[in-house]
Amino acid sequence: MRSSRQVVFPYLLLPSLWASRNRAHRRERGDLVRALTFGGIGLSVGVAIFGGSFWLTWQLADLGELGDYLLRAGLSWLFLTFLSFLAFSGLVTALATFFLSGDLRLLLATPVASRRLFYARFVRTLGQASWMVVVFLVPVLLAVGLARCAPYSFYAIAILTIVPFAVIPVVLGTAVTFALVNVFPARRARDFLMVTGLLFAASIVILIRYIRPERLLRVESLPDITAFFATLQSPITPLLPSFWAAETLFASLRGGRDLLHFLALWTTAASLTLVLRAAHERWHFSGFSNAQEARKTRFTKLQTLDRLANRLPISVVRRHLLLKDAKVFFRDVSQWSQLLLLVALMLLYLYNFRVLDLDRIPYMSGVIKNVYAFVNLGMTGLVMATVAVRFVFPSVSSEGAAFWIVRSAPISLRDFLWSKFWIGLVPVLVLTEALTIVGNYLLGVDPFLAAIAPIVVLFMSLALVGLATGLGARYPRFAADNATQVAGSYGGIAFMVIAVLFVLIIVVLVGWPSSVYLFHQVRRLPLSSSQLFNMSSCFVAAAAISLASWWMGMRTGIRALEELE
Amino acid sequence: MIAVHDLVKKYGGFTAVNGVSLEVRPGEIHGFLGPNGAGKTTTIRMIAGLLKPTSGRILVNGHDLASDPERAKASLGFVPDRPFLYEKLTAGEFLRFHGGLYGLEGAGIGDRVREMLDLFELARWEHELVESFSHGMKQRLVMCAAFLHRPEAVLVDEPMVGLDPRGARLIKDVFRTMSSRGVAILMSTHTLEVAQEMCDRISIILQGGIIAKGTVPEVRAMSGNPDDHLTNVFLKLTGGSALQEIDEIV
Repeated sequence: MRSSRQVVFPYLLLPSLWASRNRAHRRERGDLVRALTFGGIGLSVGVAIFGGSFWLTWQLADLGELGDYLLRAGLSWLFLTFLSFLAFSGLVTALATFFLSGDLRLLLATPVASRRLFYARFVRTLGQASWMVVVFLVPVLLAVGLARCAPYSFYAIAILTIVPFAVIPVVLGTAVTFALVNVFPARRARDFLMVTGLLFAASIVILIRYIRPERLLRVESLPDITAFFATLQSPITPLLPSFWAAETLFASLRGGRDLLHFLALWTTAASLTLVLRAAHERWHFSGFSNAQEARKTRFTKLQTLDRLANRLPISVVRRHLLLKDAKVFFRDVSQWSQLLLLVALMLLYLYNFRVLDLDRIPYMSGVIKNVYAFVNLGMTGLVMATVAVRFVFPSVSSEGAAFWIVRSAPISLRDFLWSKFWIGLVPVLVLTEALTIVGNYLLGVDPFLAAIAPIVVLFMSLALVGLATGLGARYPRFAADNATQVAGSYGGIAFMVIAVLFVLIIVVLVGWPSSVYLFHQVRRLPLSSSQLFNMSSCFVAAAAISLASWWMGMRTGIRALEELE
Repeated sequence: MIAVHDLVKKYGGFTAVNGVSLEVRPGEIHGFLGPNGAGKTTTIRMIAGLLKPTSGRILVNGHDLASDPERAKASLGFVPDRPFLYEKLTAGEFLRFHGGLYGLEGAGIGDRVREMLDLFELARWEHELVESFSHGMKQRLVMCAAFLHRPEAVLVDEPMVGLDPRGARLIKDVFRTMSSRGVAILMSTHTLEVAQEMCDRISIILQGGIIAKGTVPEVRAMSGNPDDHLTNVFLKLTGGSALQEIDEIV
């Protein structure tokens, strides 16, 4: 046995690798379903990105020099978008990997050199912060290379370009985290980052709306495309790594070399990493120490909630369960900030209906508006399923290690689960009804559809919230660190699969009779009694499936809780 | 040996540890006692290198923790009150990884790991995932890790929590054997019987400061009754008068 403290930094990555290996060897229930679902979705998205990029690059090749210019500007814009994403992602990831991760309590008590710890943590941060960008870039660059018949060296240079391009923003994001954690305790810094994340997402949305990409879809505005890309350029663009990466790749795409920008990427990445390493040696321990010091965190007392709850005509037990859930939710920034983000995306979705210029095709606008109403219904159903899996499904698991309090209290588990159901139903219903009613109003759909859609949404809400509550109790994950982990578990994925199928069935069952009704109304034809019977049967079937899903979901959940050991 | 001089830790305006000084000599088992929130865990976490002291000096086997943290930590074994374990590793993998952090590698590490697993009665669980372990088994696994690299000083925060009588007896025997071989052990505990039975000296901390220090008989004498049980001494020194109110309230 040799004794030496010269532990090389990749050694510190071993537990993650071993854990992955063990996880692969010892499959848990649902692993195959999860792998197939995520793998299938990932593959489909990858193929779609590849196809789209290939088609676009192919089309641009026909435009000669203009096509080259657009491809070059497009690459620059793509990398610019990723630059900000990577910086923000690095900022958030570094907080977890450098300061909040549980294994730091073990590693920092051992004689591992600070420098090695830095490299190990930075590699982890880089991987976690940039994998999504890499996964997106691979099919894009592969498609661009194949469409342009690029030499093999293009693919090698693409890899050598992406690495320093990802390192630069992640280093900068990590540096901001170091500064933040040394100023605030880490847990406060996390809240701060959550809100910053929300603002970041909102600013991206506003930026996209400001650019108005729908202009590109108008044939009459084709000459404006160059002006559109020109608005994305600014005097500082050549100073950004996104520009360097795009220039390097564009040169190699044509078989050339752009060493200046390539070396600019690598030297900047290397020097920034060294600066960050020095910052780590100087400030990491004080920041980590700070992270342990959130003894007396400030929190909102939320007394208004107490007052509101006291006025509700519900039992004492339900009132206290409601209050507890509401307070936990509002005091956890990571929870409500995600909901706010969802609301922001919904507003954007509704805004898109508002700017939809369907009157340009007057002979079709009536039909398209009503088709959009069904698309809106389907979308509302999917939003409902997403909100339910993220916020309602984890509601039982969120009791965590404190579930013994409920189990040992003199309340029935049936009451407990129904309380969870009602707490989940109200916000989901309000959110989705608003989405449906406002969306249909902005579209100006037929009054029959405008009347029927909110009723359908009510039934869908009962079913999906019931299913989410019930399956959440059937497949609880009390040991999970956060709600997102619970939502991504076997039960969460099973719920999503069932929810999507349910939404599709309901949209078809409601869509067919509605379209028959609208067709006869437009043609001013009377409906036969058999048609009326078939239409009513579809509506009744939709209602019955919804109520059955609701009841079965809750029954499954209650039984599972009662049998829980 | 562990030596702490004038250790202070402040959280904003709140002083959690206020000028603590103590010394644990080679071969000594030193009990660190105090009520909840007195500053025991904060002190121990500072000695383990997990918290930065506001001021003061910590020496582990002659190495200053602030200026030479790697050498100081290399000769220290640490058993935290709420240990982190990689749940998806097996016990053997966890110990090999932990040994690697202390520079143990090569053919001998496997034997040493099995030796420790045998000692703490975990040998048959070597290839099982940590997530399947009970609380007591996890506690014993952490002990294995702490003693794996043959430390000269050991820091233990609440060693007996969650252990069955057999496990508790095992830990006591291991601690005695280690101390007889010259290992300095600083042990925080609420179990006063354990402190009375095992410790050569004890320090009692209250509101961040040491209020009593010495051998068990010396601390007993401080309370005014040398024959008193350590529990009564502890309650007298740390404000046991509050207990007298229990009768009135109940």
